[in-house]
Amino acid sequence: MTASLVETGTTPHRGSAPMGRLLGAELRWVLRRPRTLVMLGLFALVPILIAIGVVVADRGGNGLIGAIAGNGLVLPVVAMTLMLALLLPLAVGMAAADAIAGEAAHGTLRGLLLAPVGRGRLVVMKAFGVLVVTVVATLVVAVVGVVAGLVVVGGADGTLVTLSGTTLGFGEAMGRVGIAALWTVGQLAAVGAIALAISAFTEHPLVVLASVLGGLIVFGVLGAIPALDWLAPYLLTTGFSAGADVLRDPMSWGDIGGSTLRALCYIAIGGGITTSRMLTRDA
Amino acid sequence: MTAPAGQSAAAGERGAAGAAAAAPPAAAVRGVRKVFGKTVAVDGIDLEVPSGAVLGMLGPNGSGKTTLIRMLLGLTRPTEGSAELLGHPVPDATEQALPHVGALVEGPGFHPFLSGRENLRRVAATEPLLASAQIGDAVGTALERVGLSDAADRRFRGYSLGMKQRLGLAAALLVPRKLVVLDEPTNGLDPAGTRDVRRIVAELHAGGATVLVSSHLLAEVEATCTHVAVLQTGTLVAAGELSVLLEAGTGGLVVSTPDVDLALEALRGVGATAFAEGDGVVVADGGPPTPEVVALLVRAGVAVYEARRRRARLEELFARLTGEET
Repeated sequence: MTASLVETGTTPHRGSAPMGRLLGAELRWVLRRPRTLVMLGLFALVPILIAIGVVVADRGGNGLIGAIAGNGLVLPVVAMTLMLALLLPLAVGMAAADAIAGEAAHGTLRGLLLAPVGRGRLVVMKAFGVLVVTVVATLVVAVVGVVAGLVVVGGADGTLVTLSGTTLGFGEAMGRVGIAALWTVGQLAAVGAIALAISAFTEHPLVVLASVLGGLIVFGVLGAIPALDWLAPYLLTTGFSAGADVLRDPMSWGDIGGSTLRALCYIAIGGGITTSRMLTRDA
Repeated sequence: MTAPAGQSAAAGERGAAGAAAAAPPAAAVRGVRKVFGKTVAVDGIDLEVPSGAVLGMLGPNGSGKTTLIRMLLGLTRPTEGSAELLGHPVPDATEQALPHVGALVEGPGFHPFLSGRENLRRVAATEPLLASAQIGDAVGTALERVGLSDAADRRFRGYSLGMKQRLGLAAALLVPRKLVVLDEPTNGLDPAGTRDVRRIVAELHAGGATVLVSSHLLAEVEATCTHVAVLQTGTLVAAGELSVLLEAGTGGLVVSTPDVDLALEALRGVGATAFAEGDGVVVADGGPPTPEVVALLVRAGVAVYEARRRRARLEELFARLTGEET
């Protein structure tokens, strides 16, 4: 140990670059990628389009979208719930596809392993990158949803009329939007963990994306078959509609808690598979 | 580039086996074998890269050069056998050796949407031996060293094949290395680029670093390497010092002179075996040493224009070893 300190002279002796620097590099890489930025921009349009649609239609339809009319602060929650079905998982799947399979396809995974970024650290770095995209995408929808809700839809004087008919002040309404965002991030993190595990096995980003979207559709179909009721508790998509529960008063925590627990199980499984695969993966 | 004089002299001395053999090899593989499905890519190779050497790895396409390099760097596990990198077993302790190893394997890998400089900064951020404050300087120096300063801020997407290759080289040179592994470094480079690679390899060698180059350009290897390893269909057909391998083939001292008859007479007078060839005479090995032959000829009034040891061209050696007669 002493010998190698002398050998390397003034340069610091350590086996890996500092974790903070690795995460910083990953953050810059993720957020500079044009497709991430384009996607975030398009996501910002979705709540605005819903808001305009509601105002132009000018009639209280049924379902969640109908609840937005004249009740702007419902918009961010509705937008997140709607986009959780397909668009947000698409963003997360794309980030996970680029994270490992994409790096392998560009030949840059080899560079990371040769630096070396330890294989364990590499998984942390990549999971962090996917989480960043997840959080930013969710926040964009939530924030634009709040603004569009207040500006375009308006109504209810900055308060939120719950599905139960009660009225919440602006502060509490923001709290409910925050809970919905946090819960959405949790569900998406589960998708991201599984996507990252698939990404660890391939060098074709499209395989990851196709698996994520195909998986969501298959889960949706399975969940809709009455004879397969027993399967429902294991399907991630079963809990995807729980987000709207933040719009009830008092809030109902049952489904939100249950689906979050399920998401954590998926994260543990996905994380475990990703790590064990990356420890031995050829590059 | 200032070189530690002692080290470079020891490393640079061809034929001084003592100096190189005393130090542990910079890299070694023992009985490695790699099977992909039914294909045997590498079939039981033993090879040592002496510390301070510039080893050129030659072989036809598909002879196992890249697979061997990948196993050496811990990028893929050997089916059988073991490897060692700067004294650390691979792949179990590869991460202790890798900070001191620069590598360009299977072409340069970078992100098309980032500029050359940004790509290099990202690589630099992952380099364990680089302090955060040094990153900017290290990137600038590396870009300059490969002659890419002018194109540094253009997107990688728009780079020519040669520029991509140069950027890959820059990544391998970000920090001072003990071992630099270059897999086909001159791929896609113009003559100026090839000269740059030759210069960089020479600089690394002078600085005491060990260099492992795989190439299909025999002239490149002949110009820059001290050692050679020749692979064919996954096996090692020859390895050793370049000069020794070349001398082993044909020998003799070639003397260019117009006075052929006079020269032959003088040489035969001292019992040396000599014969006329081309514009001069060839003195076979086993007679008097070279300086005495030259002195003898000059004393005899022979006009000596040139005297050189005849060495096989690497190309001939390669063709002989791999059975690819031209």
